[in-house]
Amino acid sequence: MNLNYDKASIELPEAWRAKTPIFAFVGVVCILFGAACFFMAPAADGTNSKAFRYLAHSYLANFIYVLSFTLGALFFILVQFLTRAGWSSSIRRLAEIIMMMIPYIALLFLPVLFMLFQGSSSLYEWNAEGITNSIIAEKAKFYLTKEFFTIRSIGYFALWIVTATWFFRISRAQDESGDVELSSVRQKWAGPLIMLFALSMTFAAFDWVMSIDADWYSTIFGVYLFAASMMAFFAMMIVISMSLQNAGKVQKWITVEHFHDMGKFLFGFVMFWSYIAFSQLILLWYGNIPEETYWYDVRLRDGWQYLSYGLIAFHFAIPFLGLLSRHVRRHRVGLLFWSIWILVAHWLDMTFLIMPNAGPASFFPLAGHLLGGLGMLCIFAALFIVRATGVPLVAMRDPRLPEAMKYANPLL
Amino acid sequence: MSEHKPRKSNESKPPKAFGWMAEYVDEASLLSASRKVRDSGYTKTDAFTPFPVHGIDEALGIKPTILPFLVLCAGLTGMTTALLMQWWMNGVDYKYIISGKPFGITPASIPVAFELTILFSAFTSFLGMFALNQLPKFSNPVFTNPKFDRATNDRFFLYVSSADKYYNRESVKDLLAATHPESLDEVMEDTTPAALPRPILLGAMLLVFAGLIPGAIILNMRAGFSNLPRLHVFFDMDFQPKKKSQQQTTVFADGRTMRPQVAGTIARGQLEEQDPFYLGFDPAKISATTGRSDLMLVSTAVQPPEGEPAPAEPAPAEPAPAEPVKTEGTPENQPPAEQPPAEQPPAEGEMPATEPATPTETVPAETAPSQIPATPLEPAKAVEPAPAAVPAPAQAAAPASGTPALNLPWVEKLPIEATEAHMKLGKLKYETYCSACHGYAGFGDGLVHKRAESLLQPTWIPPTSLHADRVRTQPVGQIFHTITKGQGKMASYATSITPKERWAIVLYVKALQRSRNASIEDVPVEDRSKLEEAK
Repeated sequence: MNLNYDKASIELPEAWRAKTPIFAFVGVVCILFGAACFFMAPAADGTNSKAFRYLAHSYLANFIYVLSFTLGALFFILVQFLTRAGWSSSIRRLAEIIMMMIPYIALLFLPVLFMLFQGSSSLYEWNAEGITNSIIAEKAKFYLTKEFFTIRSIGYFALWIVTATWFFRISRAQDESGDVELSSVRQKWAGPLIMLFALSMTFAAFDWVMSIDADWYSTIFGVYLFAASMMAFFAMMIVISMSLQNAGKVQKWITVEHFHDMGKFLFGFVMFWSYIAFSQLILLWYGNIPEETYWYDVRLRDGWQYLSYGLIAFHFAIPFLGLLSRHVRRHRVGLLFWSIWILVAHWLDMTFLIMPNAGPASFFPLAGHLLGGLGMLCIFAALFIVRATGVPLVAMRDPRLPEAMKYANPLL
Repeated sequence: MSEHKPRKSNESKPPKAFGWMAEYVDEASLLSASRKVRDSGYTKTDAFTPFPVHGIDEALGIKPTILPFLVLCAGLTGMTTALLMQWWMNGVDYKYIISGKPFGITPASIPVAFELTILFSAFTSFLGMFALNQLPKFSNPVFTNPKFDRATNDRFFLYVSSADKYYNRESVKDLLAATHPESLDEVMEDTTPAALPRPILLGAMLLVFAGLIPGAIILNMRAGFSNLPRLHVFFDMDFQPKKKSQQQTTVFADGRTMRPQVAGTIARGQLEEQDPFYLGFDPAKISATTGRSDLMLVSTAVQPPEGEPAPAEPAPAEPAPAEPVKTEGTPENQPPAEQPPAEQPPAEGEMPATEPATPTETVPAETAPSQIPATPLEPAKAVEPAPAAVPAPAQAAAPASGTPALNLPWVEKLPIEATEAHMKLGKLKYETYCSACHGYAGFGDGLVHKRAESLLQPTWIPPTSLHADRVRTQPVGQIFHTITKGQGKMASYATSITPKERWAIVLYVKALQRSRNASIEDVPVEDRSKLEEAK
């Protein structure tokens, strides 16, 4: 296997770097215009009074949307070392770069914490002064206090940032030395770190997302968000890899076999998301207890029902059938199309999780939410370029790189 | 792989050839040889390797199998089958209310649809793989050459079948020889006899025969009759070192296995047995309204007065009470029946025989002390020591239609308020638990009844119409009692429905009855005009 390479071919395209300010500017403008949208709703609409409530929920949904890509990347990296995977060596650096965006994304959580300490209960009802709901009041005594919530949030981010940074440093050190031992260290620690990751991901999902409805609970909620994150991550990986190749980079290192494998993962996590989402639904539906089913009731009224029922087709049935064939997964345009589809579906899913809690669906809040989502994506793109600058896009001295280049999917 | 089946050798003809087999020492030479063979246009080829060789499909020009497509079709068939089946069963053919869920296809249908999708797919992929590979195949001519055994170890083989349409013995030989194989042999017909060796045949027949033995024994046992005692395989499970109720023991000085209630204590649920809210009648009034025969009817746990512990219990010196039901007690456990229960009313003795399915199986045990003449039962107290209220045996045994009215001090006034909320609760619970038999309007025409009628069940006892005069005149307490204890074929609903819900059902039943016999005076004055308009 010829591992010779041109150094320029594994660097970020120059044209991309020039676009960073544009992305950042468009992102900020989108978010600001989006925020303005919430307050533009006519008073007769009845939603204007709740404009801030919509804005807070929208921000959280879009924050979780971009965060999920990075968390998916972190888990992907850990799993590659846990299983000592060879096939993924050539795409691993891209995932590492996405993983290393967690510190940046963490800064985007500050507004939420700021809002908590301002005493706002628009997003987290448990932050209010006199809580009448006895269930929430019970939880708000100890667990759901703004101080403890902040400590936990810092804990989650600390764990993820430390893990990501440490793994990334070792990976970069291997770029210089090619030392096999550096792979072994990561293999040794991947297992325990995955356990910690699973716990932190579950609790983060409980704290940040599920607690907007603090008297409702679903123990599978963390897994739900995890499944959605993994699916979104693979879609993002495919989009980024193909964009880089279209810009003339890493063409030799990411082959149709790698795209096929990422497509398989994408397909698998589409199914896994559906499985988890349905598991959550069927238990609550069958139990038919009002305090549990109202979460779905909120999502099946006031215009949100179109989104909720639409997710079944948009997030499961259509992409499932679309990605079923290996010919699609090995086809560049086909795979790119479904990846973008999934990115949209994932955004709708996050909307479904969070936005109905703010109030009925209406035009201005939805427009603001959409603009905010686009803005967040632009900022994500800008942060990716900043993070990837100066970093080789392929871990060239990885001992498993020859294996990754030799790997071929069996013909079936 | 050759499609030819091995045939019995015919000695008059030379053995048939099936093609050429080339042997290689590594996968690289196999792959390059395969490409050459493929590029020469041969398609009936195959490779045999000790492990899966990446790229061999492409090198040999093997087309992708149609199996995934078949599996997809089977999966869709399975899903459709499951959904249609559930829609037909629960939505059309047998509309049965399950936990108040809607009929037909619901979210609960999805797991079944998922399972059948997987089941059909799995069977299709497994059986389809067999069929596409023409399995099972017991013999193949490639095995005639002993060199081929190394295909599972360390050698790589390439085979060109004589069934190929471009096959020419000499040119294929030349082509393969040009790839520098380790060896090159023609695949010859297997000339050994094809008949099964006699020991194998015998062994198989023996196995089949032995397999019939358990079935034969079971058939014999089911058809025949045996006087032998049953075989105790696990002796210590059949005869456990434990005591059952009404047996004797040496552990306690009084010889009883059942312990009397400790003075001054209240057992779980005992308080409820004195409260009309949980009974439907007022136990305090029982002695006033009923005569001697009530002793076995109902009981309330009234604490014995201080200083006179458990008057109903026999003294330790007295013989232990005989078991009223002798089913299959082992000899050592049977207490000597020194005193036959002379004063025992006949109905009581028959009870276990006539109504073995009485929901309260402890009836004989709890009424037992009253059967002992020596029991110092004081007439002034006139209460039973047994802790549970049970319906009269005659009452329980007789069919509902011929039941003489129970003469108990029934609760006449509903202990819950007749509010809208209670009415709604009663309606909900009635439709959940009662309507299946008694029907939504109470005419005894529920789904179960209709089903039994359509099946012409000869033993089916129709549910009572709640609008029969007999039921209409019942006090609320008696209806409550019926729900609590069951009546005739109807089982007790005490475990499923809480007392408050039972009272709510009574309220709803009373409303149902009233609705069939209402006059215009029952309608509030301000609503009467609405009714007139509706006419």
